Amino acid sequence: MSAHVLSTTAGVEDVVAVIVLLSEFAMLRAPLLRSQVRLYAFQSLAVSALAVVVAATRHVGDIYVLAGLSFLLKAVIVPLVIMRLLRDVDVDLVGSSKLGVASSTLVALAVSIFGFFSVGSLRVRGAALPTTTLAVASAVVLVGFVLIVLRSDVVSQAMGFFSLENGVSVASLAIAAGLPLVVELTFLFDLLVAVVAFGIIMRVHHGRSKTLSTDELDRLRG
Amino acid sequence: MTLASAVVAPEGVQALQVLTILLGAPLVSGAIAHVEARLQGRRGPRILQPYYDIAKLFQKETLVTDQASWVFLAAPVVAFACYLIVPLLIPVLTTYPLPLGYMGDILGGGFVLALASFSVALAGAESGAPYAQLGSSRSMTFGALVEPTILFVVFAVGLITSTDLPYALASTVRSSSEIVRPGHVLAAVAFFLVVLVDTGRIPVETHTGTLEFGMIDEARTLEHSGPALALLKWGSAIKQLVLYTILINVFVAPFGLSSSGTPLSVAGAIGALLGKAVLLGLVFAVIDNLFSKLRLFKITEFLAAAFGIAVLAVVVFYVGPA
Repeated sequence: MSAHVLSTTAGVEDVVAVIVLLSEFAMLRAPLLRSQVRLYAFQSLAVSALAVVVAATRHVGDIYVLAGLSFLLKAVIVPLVIMRLLRDVDVDLVGSSKLGVASSTLVALAVSIFGFFSVGSLRVRGAALPTTTLAVASAVVLVGFVLIVLRSDVVSQAMGFFSLENGVSVASLAIAAGLPLVVELTFLFDLLVAVVAFGIIMRVHHGRSKTLSTDELDRLRG
Repeated sequence: MTLASAVVAPEGVQALQVLTILLGAPLVSGAIAHVEARLQGRRGPRILQPYYDIAKLFQKETLVTDQASWVFLAAPVVAFACYLIVPLLIPVLTTYPLPLGYMGDILGGGFVLALASFSVALAGAESGAPYAQLGSSRSMTFGALVEPTILFVVFAVGLITSTDLPYALASTVRSSSEIVRPGHVLAAVAFFLVVLVDTGRIPVETHTGTLEFGMIDEARTLEHSGPALALLKWGSAIKQLVLYTILINVFVAPFGLSSSGTPLSVAGAIGALLGKAVLLGLVFAVIDNLFSKLRLFKITEFLAAAFGIAVLAVVVFYVGPA
């Protein structure tokens, strides 16, 4: 494979990774639960597109299967399921964030800078290792954590968790594209289990307390 | 020497750059307006409508309020001249720098554009009309808030290329040995948001409305009429195409430019530029239809987001992996 093809792939990987990171930021700012789910669907679409590009340029046929499955699951089924749950619970706005919009964006910026810094200071080198993509992917994971920590409603926390998984997908596609299909599929099934679990939590929690906010849970005592 | 191997003199290409922007700008605006109308289910104006509008306005008389001084009439001309200087500095048609291309760097181009918007705002304030003054005040306020983003985008460009010349960044994108770095993508996104603000599109401003309260840039020219208004309208179309050209030919897709300077390749570059600008305009038209206008006091949040992205673009170069 020529260096030209490799560098083009790395360029595309960087672009997609940054798109994923920016949609993560947008999720942090999204005022509606629905728009958060839509952003997640868009983010998953970007990750699936990255998988197709990686499959085409590195000639790994398995990844096409992975791309198709991840598109079907993450960009279609999960958003549809969550949207359906949202229609039932009749709550539109995201739960109040523990910080204001500006401060939470600043925290996310600082955290993603830390992500870049940590990967930069690892000093791992390698011709085949796209460290920049890895850095963006780790920033995505960290911002996903920020989303989970700062937002106090079930849907935001679920979306934060799912998009965190998207960050991991980007990293695994960039680093180990040849990872056996079985391992990648296990990731996806993990996600499926998480969707079911979060769906049940949403239903039960909303059924008991008529709200999606997790602040209520603080008062539970054993 | 046959025609195919003949080379257009660099000065000639440079003049063509200005002419392309000058004559192509209304076409791009018209195409965007047409597509936007179609997306909204209207038939929309002809694609050539902006040319007719400008021609019509040039035949009308100019009315000036009693309070206004010569500044009111000079400003549209100054702004128009400024908008035509910028195409000399940026890669419009060629991959290789032209004689006057190193006259100013990206910051220089930014200053010239700022002078243009300053003079239009001055004319709006000069008219003494409340809405024009409101527009001037707002456009200066938000202009000051956009400026830091532009600066950080320029810093990011400087870090990528070690120069501040637009030509150098464009060739970085073209060369296949350099990969596109995250900082570059972030800077391009931040600049995209800046273009959104500076061309007065949704979510910052509706450019087609007649409601003065939401206006920013549009309100500045409410008091102008006749040829002066024609120059302002034409000028804002030119500014739009200049910003599109910077975004396309410097940051995102500097392809289809002439590298040899033969007449055929230069003609192809003119077509490629206008085609790419219309495509980019489609993106803006879609954004126009997807989002609603932000409340005036929410615009600062939007600008802060753009600034955050630009800062991230610069920081990534220092802390991220090389």
